[in-house]
Amino acid sequence: MDRTKVKPRKTRSLRLARMNLPGHLLMLVWAVVVLLPVYLLVVNALKTRMGMYADPFALPLPLVWDNFRAIINQGNFFMYFANSLMVVVVSLGAILMLGSLAGYGLAHWRGKLARGLYFFFMIGMMLPIKIATIRLMELMKLLGLFNQLWSIILVYIAMGLPIAVFVLTEFIRGLPGDLYEAAHIDGARRSKIYYSIVLPLIKPALATVGIYNLVPIWNDLWFPLIFITQEDKKTVLLAVTRLQGQYTTDWPKVFALLTLSALPVILLYLSMSRQFVAGLTAGAVKG
Amino acid sequence: MKKLTALLLAALMLATLVPGLVQAEGVKLTMGSWRSDDTAQVQALLDKYKELTGVEITFQPTVPAQYNATLRLQLDNGTGPDLMYSRTFAASKELYDAGFLLPLNDIAALKDNFSAASLEAFMADDGTIYAVPYAAVSQIVYYNKAIFAENNLEVPTTFEELLNVAQALKDKGIEPLANGIASNWDILECVFLGMLPNYVGGAEERALYEAGERKMNDEAFVKALTDFAALSKYLPEGFEALANEDGPGMFGMGRAAMFIDGSWTVGMFDEYPDLDLGVFAIPAPEGHTPGLCFHSDMGMAGNAATQHPEEVKAFLAWFASVEGAQEAANLLPAGFYPMINAPVELSGEMAMTILGLNEGKVLDYRFIWKDFLGMYTVMVDNLNAIARGETTPEAAAEAFAAAQEEILAAKAE
Amino acid sequence: MSPKQTGQRLGVHPAPQVPAYPASGRIMKGSVNLQPSLRARNRHSLNPGGGYWFWYLLPALLVYILFMAYPMLDSVRLSLYAGTTGTRQYVGLANYTRLFTDPVVSTRFWGAFKNTWVFFAYHMLVQNVLGMLFAVILTSRTMKGRKIYQTIIFIPCTIAVMVSGYLFRLLLNPQFAGPSLRAMGLSALVRPWLGDPRTALNVVSLVSVWQWVGIPTMMFVAGLQGVSEDLLEAADIEGCNAWQTFWHIKFPLILPVVGMIAILTFVSNFNAFDVVYAMTGPNGPPNYATDLIGSLFYRYGVAGEHPIGIPEPGVGAAISTSVFVMLLAGVLPTLRATQGRD
Repeated sequence: MDRTKVKPRKTRSLRLARMNLPGHLLMLVWAVVVLLPVYLLVVNALKTRMGMYADPFALPLPLVWDNFRAIINQGNFFMYFANSLMVVVVSLGAILMLGSLAGYGLAHWRGKLARGLYFFFMIGMMLPIKIATIRLMELMKLLGLFNQLWSIILVYIAMGLPIAVFVLTEFIRGLPGDLYEAAHIDGARRSKIYYSIVLPLIKPALATVGIYNLVPIWNDLWFPLIFITQEDKKTVLLAVTRLQGQYTTDWPKVFALLTLSALPVILLYLSMSRQFVAGLTAGAVKG
Repeated sequence: MKKLTALLLAALMLATLVPGLVQAEGVKLTMGSWRSDDTAQVQALLDKYKELTGVEITFQPTVPAQYNATLRLQLDNGTGPDLMYSRTFAASKELYDAGFLLPLNDIAALKDNFSAASLEAFMADDGTIYAVPYAAVSQIVYYNKAIFAENNLEVPTTFEELLNVAQALKDKGIEPLANGIASNWDILECVFLGMLPNYVGGAEERALYEAGERKMNDEAFVKALTDFAALSKYLPEGFEALANEDGPGMFGMGRAAMFIDGSWTVGMFDEYPDLDLGVFAIPAPEGHTPGLCFHSDMGMAGNAATQHPEEVKAFLAWFASVEGAQEAANLLPAGFYPMINAPVELSGEMAMTILGLNEGKVLDYRFIWKDFLGMYTVMVDNLNAIARGETTPEAAAEAFAAAQEEILAAKAE
Repeated sequence: MSPKQTGQRLGVHPAPQVPAYPASGRIMKGSVNLQPSLRARNRHSLNPGGGYWFWYLLPALLVYILFMAYPMLDSVRLSLYAGTTGTRQYVGLANYTRLFTDPVVSTRFWGAFKNTWVFFAYHMLVQNVLGMLFAVILTSRTMKGRKIYQTIIFIPCTIAVMVSGYLFRLLLNPQFAGPSLRAMGLSALVRPWLGDPRTALNVVSLVSVWQWVGIPTMMFVAGLQGVSEDLLEAADIEGCNAWQTFWHIKFPLILPVVGMIAILTFVSNFNAFDVVYAMTGPNGPPNYATDLIGSLFYRYGVAGEHPIGIPEPGVGAAISTSVFVMLLAGVLPTLRATQGRD
């Protein structure tokens, strides 16, 4: 069709402009709702505990940098960070790789067995992983993985796979079939199709799965608590626990540590979210 | 060949799993604990022990709230620490019965240096002791001396006077108490069980309830619950949502005149330089013999599955000796009291004042800890309901008696 | 917008990577695959079958079985046993009988069950609807600053639940935040929100919504960006208003994403527990008003009840198994209704 002639450009843009005003309003309201607690987080990281109780909303005057200083000086802050980062990057990388390979396979493999396997993966989303703690501990002991980052990494990979397989299979299944046909006629191997066609096209889905798993992995406390006792293998959140006493918690210090800890997550989010700007979500929109 | 690459990577990952060999050089032990608060002090104690014996012990505290759960998992799995902080009564007895804790009967110092009452908290049915008593705590009333002075209030000596003080404060727009009920434990452990020895008496009387000769809806219990109900009228605004950890802040800043809590909190108030801190025992009602809840809180146990039973026992023997107890007492946090019979020195003036409140009173540990821990939840739920005005002291006493009967019946089976 | 531009934003480099396929232009434009014939052709004869595809699944399957499926399913077996290590014995269905008939345990279970549905309803109706609304706004072609907004919406997701829970406890604390709120003229907000059985669960649910709304927003944005420009322009020309465009075009097209999010919301909320643990405590106070299946499972099966802390893995496994059966009953029809499976 000849768009330029038919489209009533002016009225449309006007209407859209009008439409965005409430949009911005809602976004701004939500931004306030989001940023108020974040404000509390940041200002109270810059106060003493007494200052925080006195008035949580007050500006931190004078600024108390002791919490940040204590975090960075005491303990091995950068080591904890490196450990957490290592765990998150390796886990996510493996989840996405194994998940997309499996999704590619499941999207094309038709039949009862394939459906059964797909469903087998989904079971993993429906049971609490904590139930398996005892067995996992036995396994880690057997493999000699106690106090090794691999212990938690392997559990996180296994934890992330069900969602990865679920989402990625749906997305890949929605990619147009003639894409493969054309490629195949072209002589491309299926492994090549996966690598050079499917992977780039499902980048938004990969980003979605990555972000979905990023947060729980970064913020998990349970498995590090059980598998890691050695100082040089601790993750950031496990390090937070030393700030939690039996009866009281040094919240301003926790805030300081967690403010710093949120930054890498936001950066990872930003880098991954770049992948789905204007993305194709084939699985989502198939006819 | 993506598939091949993937398989190779998977193989590579599996290869990385092969554990490195751990070289043993000298004996190294680990110590599990819920007291993450005291990491520096305990590590100092353990360093001192290393100087004495050459045995290296690493302190590995976990998240306090998760201690029981994670310790249990580690013991089940055979990866528990060699030495561990031990809870008192049922929680640790269960671990001993399951075979996780070393029996310590051959440590002679235990019988010599600790009273039967202290050892009772770590004693199996057959009389075996499985932990060295470490520290006790008490439940008392902290008060703000400045607020009392400004309002011409005296330290109450009877429960009736306490209520009068609370009323006087409330009349002047001052919150009398900094206690809340949101944490679901302190209203029972600190307030009600702190009050209880004033009403039911000490260990002898407790034994009557444990034998079923007295019921928990008797006059003493109804009176205790009635007084609790009267006191709960003075809980602060929004007490339903106030947690135990909010108390020190609220009281420390002078927003409440009193705070009923454990001796363990005393160190917290150092953060509030303007606070003029005083303490008094939860007073008994007119005509009652004053009692005080002085509670065995922690012990030190050894792991039955340790690789180094000799070293573990040697440490525990040292820990049970007067020298060891003195070293430990030097480093105990304020408000935790050594349980050894020998006179050990303690630092901290206010902590000593709190200990002084024990004098001339009938002492007992928390009433339900020995046999009635199973009714903990029933008690908390009913005390919360009284504070909210949703039930009466009489009805709560009936619920207590019913739970008591149930536990005694189960025990008889 | 030309196909090339869209392609670049996608991160696909059309020229070097997929030069030979005319179809790719349409794909990269984010078009909707509306022709059913394409799906039919997807199952073309060139498909090599299970013996081939299995190899793609193998690595994931190995890790998943070893570190999740086996330990988990084996633990489900524990629901037929009582006691812990050393004292474990086979008791048949006694744990289930206890769960459903014991006056105390069954009251807790059904209470937690009801609360979990409320908690889930908040996520389904508030979080996901809000996420959808945000996504529609953010994908509007003339919307400015979408990246900033989207990042702001996502920020709460990055905060550990332990901390976000405490932040709200602080914000809602009548003693510490109360004076400031009164000074700002917000006296009505000074209430023991988390101490009142009528409000606590609502507040906890809303805090969870606040924290996680970024996830469905992100997924809906990903879905909506795939909706064809052509279609939207066509709708525009037809004179559809924003609602009509959404309801008749966008929504049906992203129905699979809706289904996916519904399933993820469903399964994750029935195992949720962190937010309760951080905001009110493992007992789900006040008076079990915020007790969820997740916290009940943790209390009985993992930690044991305070102060003894002796877990009953058998009861925990019975809780999980019962919930699992129920989740299956919900997930399977949802899958069928929204994913258009063969």
